[in-house]
Amino acid sequence: MRVLVVEDEAALREALKADLTAAGHTVDVAADGEEGLYAATEYPIDVAIIDLGLPKLSGLDLIRQLRARGKSYGVLILTARDRWQDKVEGLSAGADDYVAKPFHVAEVQARLAALLRRVGGWASPRLACGPIELDSRAQTVSVRGRAVELTSFEYRILEHLMLRAGEVLSKSELTERLYAQDFDRDSNVVEVLVGRLRRKLDPDDTLKPIETLRGRGYRLSLPRNSSAADSTR
Amino acid sequence: MARAPPSVSRRLLFAVAVPLVLFFALTVAVLDSVFRQLADASLRELLAEQVVALVTAVDLNREDVLEVNLLDPESRLDMPGSGLYAAVRDQNGKLLWSSASLNGTGLELGVPLAVGGVELRTLQARDGTPVAELSRGLQWVYAAGVSKNLVFTAADSTEPQRQQLWRFRRQMAGWFGGLVLVLLATMAWMMRRALAPVRRLEQEIAAVESGAAQGLGTAYPRELAGVTKGLNALLQSERNRIARYRDTLGNLAHSLKTPLAVIRASLGTAESASAQREAIQLEIDRMAQIVEHQLKRAAAGGGVTLGQASVAVLPRVIELRAALLKVHADKDLRIEVDVPAQIGFLGDAGDVLELLGNVLDNACKWCRSRVAVSARLDAARLPSHRLSIVVEDDGPGIAATDRQRVIERGVRADEHVPGHGLGLAMVRETVALYGGELLIDGSPSLNGARVELQLPGR
Repeated sequence: MRVLVVEDEAALREALKADLTAAGHTVDVAADGEEGLYAATEYPIDVAIIDLGLPKLSGLDLIRQLRARGKSYGVLILTARDRWQDKVEGLSAGADDYVAKPFHVAEVQARLAALLRRVGGWASPRLACGPIELDSRAQTVSVRGRAVELTSFEYRILEHLMLRAGEVLSKSELTERLYAQDFDRDSNVVEVLVGRLRRKLDPDDTLKPIETLRGRGYRLSLPRNSSAADSTR
Repeated sequence: MARAPPSVSRRLLFAVAVPLVLFFALTVAVLDSVFRQLADASLRELLAEQVVALVTAVDLNREDVLEVNLLDPESRLDMPGSGLYAAVRDQNGKLLWSSASLNGTGLELGVPLAVGGVELRTLQARDGTPVAELSRGLQWVYAAGVSKNLVFTAADSTEPQRQQLWRFRRQMAGWFGGLVLVLLATMAWMMRRALAPVRRLEQEIAAVESGAAQGLGTAYPRELAGVTKGLNALLQSERNRIARYRDTLGNLAHSLKTPLAVIRASLGTAESASAQREAIQLEIDRMAQIVEHQLKRAAAGGGVTLGQASVAVLPRVIELRAALLKVHADKDLRIEVDVPAQIGFLGDAGDVLELLGNVLDNACKWCRSRVAVSARLDAARLPSHRLSIVVEDDGPGIAATDRQRVIERGVRADEHVPGHGLGLAMVRETVALYGGELLIDGSPSLNGARVELQLPGR
């Protein structure tokens, strides 16, 4: 996997690079925000590790800008300020997870692995397919303007189906969205979640938003509503 | 240097005195004018009566000789310089008769007037006495077809009237002047009394400044109680903050000494390089944890201060919910939010986010799949306990015997889930800064832990 590390502290940057290379990743490094933004938008990155306190362009602005340019890979933030305020700011700017400094490299590796598995979700703040609307900033879903309470697994399955509306997604592809490790692949978790989604999104069974294609997987039959804010993958 | 603005009591006194004096001056002017008009009218009436009396007293015989038979032999008209005078002239102005009182006064009474004419004049006697005279032209009929036009004049000295006017003015000035002085004195005394609490406040602040007092006293009137309460809260929170910084520094220095000592010792005694590495690694972790803990402690905003705006709770919960769903992505989480939009926390926005973040993060770590957060206001409780935020989960809960231990500094109920004890200890300290309370219990609806924060709210 290709990992981008944006960190201004040279010692930390080189240590991360060495450890991640040793773990089998291809590592790009950047020492400031502007350099980081260039790498983040020009290279085929799979996951990025971004320090929040960067010179030239702050980590928050870097994340906002790469998200605005449609980059949807996972972003892990490093922060020395371990206040919830900083974490919440980073996560709502578009990051997917955080690690507080000082950290163990092993922890960063674990978080990175989890991100690589599940991410792919962050595309635009709002997604809409027919009457179903999804707000990825607040992680809320509504149907015809009425809020629907979803668990985070249900939410992630729906988000993935909506992002790839019209495409057939296999059970194992959907399972990958949920778990960092390979366990539970054979269980019927996805079937259960899809069943619950259908009941919650379409209680009177008129919309039929999710089709089952026997032996192949699932498909969201409603088309994506196009909107200006909706950047494509 | 700019001159200090006049004192509040001087301004008030001035603001009251100016309209008061103006009001009395106007009153005096109006009364004076009314009095003069009345006096003039009564003088005119008196003179008119005298003219009538004169007319009845006059008899004109055939030889054109005028006889005046005064009814009252003691009349003032017969006394020279008495002040009351009378005269009769013919239509050409020739004096036909004048009263004995006119002798020696140098007055020329009477003016030529047509029949039916009336004229009021003021004259001055030789000795300077002002005199007012009223003349009236009449037609005197002797017999059928024979008549003569005469002018009858009566005059009176206006000196008594003038004296009366001045007496009246002196009395008025005395009474009203006295009244103004009494009113102003009363007002000044009232002002002193009303502003006494302000002077007391000034003295107490000076005492606080010089270190003689810790805070302002109580028992201030309602208008000032808000200010003094606010100042006391500010003083208290500043004192707490300083105490906290001092504590933090002390704790930091002390708690870093132990790991440093261990590292130093291991440099000398460790048998192998790897054992040394391991020992140092362990101590570095410990030091990192200590620094984190003390930094968080010191950063907390620190209690209700003056003019604290309320911070809406719901937007903070929504932000945190989205963040925590990302952070705990390995769990099929459901975070239910039941927080009315108008509920606010009276304190620092960063503090409420920190409190909620720690408690919710714990709940997300421990739960199986469900976390519920709710907030309520209860106006019946103490101001520092009005806002109640409850976070429940469906995890294993915290055993009753562990609940106290968990919120004490650095102790963890379960070493396998990092940060549990640390987080709640921080929460307890921040809640205490606001005078609130942290309660740990079992959740009746979700069967896991129930953490309740009681905080100042609105």
